[in-house]
Amino acid sequence: MPTSPFDRLLGNRRRLVYGVAGAVALAALLLAPHLSLSGFTLTWLTTALLLAVRAQAWNFIGGYTGYAAFGNVAFYGLGAYGTAVAMTRLHWPFIPSMLAGALLAAAYSVLIGLPVLRMRGQYFAIATLGVAEATRELVSSPQLSGLTAGPTGINLPFFRPAGLTPLQAAEAGTRYFYLAAVALLVLVVAATWLLTRTKLGHSLVAIREDEDAAHMLGINTTWAKVAAFALSAFFTGLVGGHYAYWRTFILPEEVFNIRYTLDAILGAVLGGPGTVVGPVLGGFSYDALSTYLTFSKPFGFDLGQFHVAILGVFIVVVIVFLPRGIADLLGRRRFHWGIFLENIRKNRA
Amino acid sequence: MPEPILATRAASKVFGGLAAVNSVDMEMEPGQILGLIGPNGAGKTTFVNLVTNLSPATSGQVFFKRREITAWPPHRIARAGLARTFQVVKPFRRMSVRENAAIGAMFGAGGRRRSAREATRRAEEVLEFVGLGAEQEKQADQLTLAGMKRLELAKALAMEPEVLFLDEVMAGLNQKEIEAAMTLIRAINARGVSILVIEHVMKAIIGLCHHVVVLNYGKKLAEGAPEQVLNDPLVVEAYLGSKYAERARAARKPE
Repeated sequence: MPTSPFDRLLGNRRRLVYGVAGAVALAALLLAPHLSLSGFTLTWLTTALLLAVRAQAWNFIGGYTGYAAFGNVAFYGLGAYGTAVAMTRLHWPFIPSMLAGALLAAAYSVLIGLPVLRMRGQYFAIATLGVAEATRELVSSPQLSGLTAGPTGINLPFFRPAGLTPLQAAEAGTRYFYLAAVALLVLVVAATWLLTRTKLGHSLVAIREDEDAAHMLGINTTWAKVAAFALSAFFTGLVGGHYAYWRTFILPEEVFNIRYTLDAILGAVLGGPGTVVGPVLGGFSYDALSTYLTFSKPFGFDLGQFHVAILGVFIVVVIVFLPRGIADLLGRRRFHWGIFLENIRKNRA
Repeated sequence: MPEPILATRAASKVFGGLAAVNSVDMEMEPGQILGLIGPNGAGKTTFVNLVTNLSPATSGQVFFKRREITAWPPHRIARAGLARTFQVVKPFRRMSVRENAAIGAMFGAGGRRRSAREATRRAEEVLEFVGLGAEQEKQADQLTLAGMKRLELAKALAMEPEVLFLDEVMAGLNQKEIEAAMTLIRAINARGVSILVIEHVMKAIIGLCHHVVVLNYGKKLAEGAPEQVLNDPLVVEAYLGSKYAERARAARKPE
């Protein structure tokens, strides 16, 4: 993509380097369940992968298009509820249900995007925040409880392949949901990469850089922004569906919790918004670090009590030294420690 | 007189109670270089924004190639073949110079038949033409002001327009750069593009334009051949005030 320091340097050899790095990362992810890792470790990796997917999904609208969307949890919740309703009421299998949930989220994003994407800057941010809150209230409202069961939530069927005992099914489920998360990550990264090669991808970056100029050059800005928003909603919705079936129980205040908006933004910003790999790295490392801090006790020392403080320091350090995200390091021809000082100097107010 | 390629009828733009553009009739012939001049605040840029519908007209009509485009969204007008530059340059700062021009080639009048890759090739040709051939790899915000003005021109040209609006592309350029810009504008015109030039550099207006329209306080004050218009006492007065105009008149006709 034009903006990422990455793609600008993508000569043929670099493309090879990234191809190989991507293949190695994918192989490692696919091998992980065979390494007799504990169920805990796989679950840990799964949540980290899901945040990577959500960060990358936010990247379509927030990173490439430059619209600070603060309501993506609405798409997450609708994906979860769409999946749950399709599985429990229509008795559809999981994957078609998840797709239906994601399409519901995408359709919803078009509906609200048309008015809301006319606003720019903080107005857009606040409007999306409000839409997400309203969506939660809508889903938990008594009028819709025939469909959504209102505030009592929905129980989904368990993952139970035929012929397995409950214990075996639980183990198989851990692997299944892990691999499903890997598949979602591959999908969203492939979609992002493809997008950067299309006219739509170029138009999004042009809108971010200067919307009036983009419009004057013949870009249908409304259509492009809505498309980016719908992509963002679709992939966020897929993750919501995954979560619903994995957890087997969803509540409005859980799947519409604003933290699912905030951690996706954080992941994308830490990793490098507007790049193909940045949000993946940012989302994965942020969630992995967060879980590690919560549960691990290195040298018998309980880090859990400093969990939030350490995460805070991590965020501040990345923002100060790498304001363009972790991906900034990968885009350089040569690494040297001066990069960090340069970044500080460049971004001083 | 040939059918005008672009025309406005009683075009007006009112901000609050102020008519920034007040019932302006203007016609542009195909192949013409038309000058639009007037003192600061006369409504020149507002007029351009009105025609390109970046900021819609309060009343009046705009015609382009005999079709009324008054209510068309800007991107549709752009795709129909009307391109513009911005007085305050608007480069896509974090894109390379080549990518900037490629956006014009992707979405302008010729964009529909081009892939993203073909658009990049077209961008390279246009950048060569405007003299930015050697700077294609640079990030746009690393160009000089003159470079950014050229880039504005390249983005507009990459769209393959039939009509091009140049909003003060020479402001802030030195003498040599102005000469170069004039040569470039003539070359673009020679390729069959009709051009509207907004400029304060009178040398450029006289050297380039076939016809000049003067705006003052949003109204059309005068129009005609460049020398004739620039010597019109009303125009001199609008630019320099009535005292100077009287003195100029006195100097020209000693009693």
